[in-house]
Amino acid sequence: MATARAADEAPAPAAPAFDVKNAFRNICGFCHEDYGRKQGKGPQLMDNPNSDDYLFNRIRNGKPGRMAAFGGAFTDDQIREIVVFIRKLKPNENP
Amino acid sequence: MKRHSRKAITTASVAVLAGLAFGAQANEGILKRSANDWPSYHGDYKSWHYSDLNQINAGNVGKLTEAWSHVASRATRGLQGFPLAVDGVLYYSSPYNQVYALDGATGQMLWTYKQKLNEDLVAKQTHSPYNRGIAVGFGNVYMGTLDGKLVAIDAKTGKLNWETKLVNSEKLTVGFTGAPLLVKDKIIIGSQGGEWPWRGPIFGVDAKSGKEAWKFFVVGGNEGTASDRRDTWGGDSWKTGGGGGWMPGSYDADTDTVWWGTGNPAPLYDWAGDEWMTKGPRPGINLYTSSVILLNPDTGELKGYHQVLPHDAWDYDPASGELMLIEQGGKKYVVHPTKAGFVFVFDRTGKPVNVYKGVDNINFVQDIKPDGTLVGRRDMKEGKHGNLCPAIAGGYSWNSGAYSPKTGLLYKVGFEWCMDLEVVKTTPILEPMAQLNIGANFTFQPPKDGPARGHIRARDPVSGKVKWEMKFKVPPHGGLMATGGNLLFIPEADGWFSAVDAATGKVLWRHNNGQGHNGGTITYMAKGKQYVATVTGFGSLVGDAYGELWGEPWVSMPKDAGVLKVFALK
Repeated sequence: MATARAADEAPAPAAPAFDVKNAFRNICGFCHEDYGRKQGKGPQLMDNPNSDDYLFNRIRNGKPGRMAAFGGAFTDDQIREIVVFIRKLKPNENP
Repeated sequence: MKRHSRKAITTASVAVLAGLAFGAQANEGILKRSANDWPSYHGDYKSWHYSDLNQINAGNVGKLTEAWSHVASRATRGLQGFPLAVDGVLYYSSPYNQVYALDGATGQMLWTYKQKLNEDLVAKQTHSPYNRGIAVGFGNVYMGTLDGKLVAIDAKTGKLNWETKLVNSEKLTVGFTGAPLLVKDKIIIGSQGGEWPWRGPIFGVDAKSGKEAWKFFVVGGNEGTASDRRDTWGGDSWKTGGGGGWMPGSYDADTDTVWWGTGNPAPLYDWAGDEWMTKGPRPGINLYTSSVILLNPDTGELKGYHQVLPHDAWDYDPASGELMLIEQGGKKYVVHPTKAGFVFVFDRTGKPVNVYKGVDNINFVQDIKPDGTLVGRRDMKEGKHGNLCPAIAGGYSWNSGAYSPKTGLLYKVGFEWCMDLEVVKTTPILEPMAQLNIGANFTFQPPKDGPARGHIRARDPVSGKVKWEMKFKVPPHGGLMATGGNLLFIPEADGWFSAVDAATGKVLWRHNNGQGHNGGTITYMAKGKQYVATVTGFGSLVGDAYGELWGEPWVSMPKDAGVLKVFALK
């Protein structure tokens, strides 16, 4: 099979600003299926009954064996954006 | 490398451990394995997960009873490893890189080792804190750690002899969870990789000194050598290509060749669809991801390869799946069940000579020809796609199958499950530390031909012809083991531990271990008596999906408990 000869292509530029949807797709969706609208390895996030503070702390600090801590990967402001993203999830509308 | 004040193991102290596996020629302990021992993750280099022992056999297995047990602390996500047994001593690892040495006959604890981990880092890892196994040799027990080290623990005392930092886990997030493989005077270990934006190396380390001897980059090969194929990655995508080799491979002493299955490229899914050669996040065939590679154990030089899935767009990496060295009709093969649900049969040069379907629900390709050529790829562009089979967890999962030379049959758990997905564009997240790069949202679904389910098929390993089948409403997720007693042991997902007639599949013995199994089963002799050991505990990245698909008892099953269970005849 022929191989790609794309050395002249420019590298993908780094994301200039926090893209919450990209972050969710990259990372969170591995466990929280369908943008968090369905239970997967992790629980459904849409209509989650826990408070915003609870979600913030869970994302920031994780829970051993159940969820990694993303406090090192994301700033507190970015985690708040993820919480807002979760709160806007709707059953039949892609975020 | 960090060397500790404790001196490396000496010849004199090695002599205390009489078995070949711990001797100066540790390689021989695996190559000429005593039936009394289980000295390597896959049993020995043939990787059959088989023992000749027959004190426990199809005629008396009904009298098998629990002899002793050992509870592991902090067993988050259960025990996922394989114990090893040498000279009547059983060694096993548990989450958070803990290792135990126990008297194989009584369970009397000999020592416990707890690796000093960067706990903040471990808390940030998604594929963690489990450990899937260890290696023994040169008086050491070897283990890869969650924070990127290879450690050598004195097999007699449980003290750290040396540790070598191999992966900058603080930056890359990942480290090691798979078992090392001892080959000659090297410890070979593959890093985690596939989902993360880096180059996922496989390492060779001097087994005595701990000095890194070589490193092979799964993504693109090694610069300045004949293996350099970064040209199979468009642009700079090779810098963030994933790879790794997260389960141990095999060694063919006849050709002095290490066989290793490699991890998938990142992102897992590719929005370019069928234009992947020139577009998308990683244009090209992406060597050497999702491949079987053949390495020189002394130098790490690439001797050959077969890319099982050129430009893998489905996360069916053949990093998992044992590489069984099997002879049949005077010919030598390597038989490799892959996550894609196909079984590859290679000659000893790495050339496929047969490929057959091991599970029923496969539609990511129409077929794979006996020479390994993919036919009718299903490349998915950005957007929603239904009923991709098998599901991301694989037609075959990472736990091992078994092969019995007595029956001539290969035994393997197959999974019938699919998923719906939405392929999405992603950008790698590298700062402040690397993060998963999946490239899709997905949801598990039953296949079109019935409920999600599983089976164990006993088949000719070369032709694939099935001799018998056991059907499971819920597939087991522990490693199988076959024995010279005409037995096949099956650690099931609901807690049952079963022994069946290896020739027929008839159930001969069952015992409930109280929680699901995610790890392996071995057998060994201690003080003249045969023992069977298995590990319990559920909640791996595959096991976590069981609650979603099958409800109870997996929803409520503990995710933080694990016990070593050892059985013998009454």
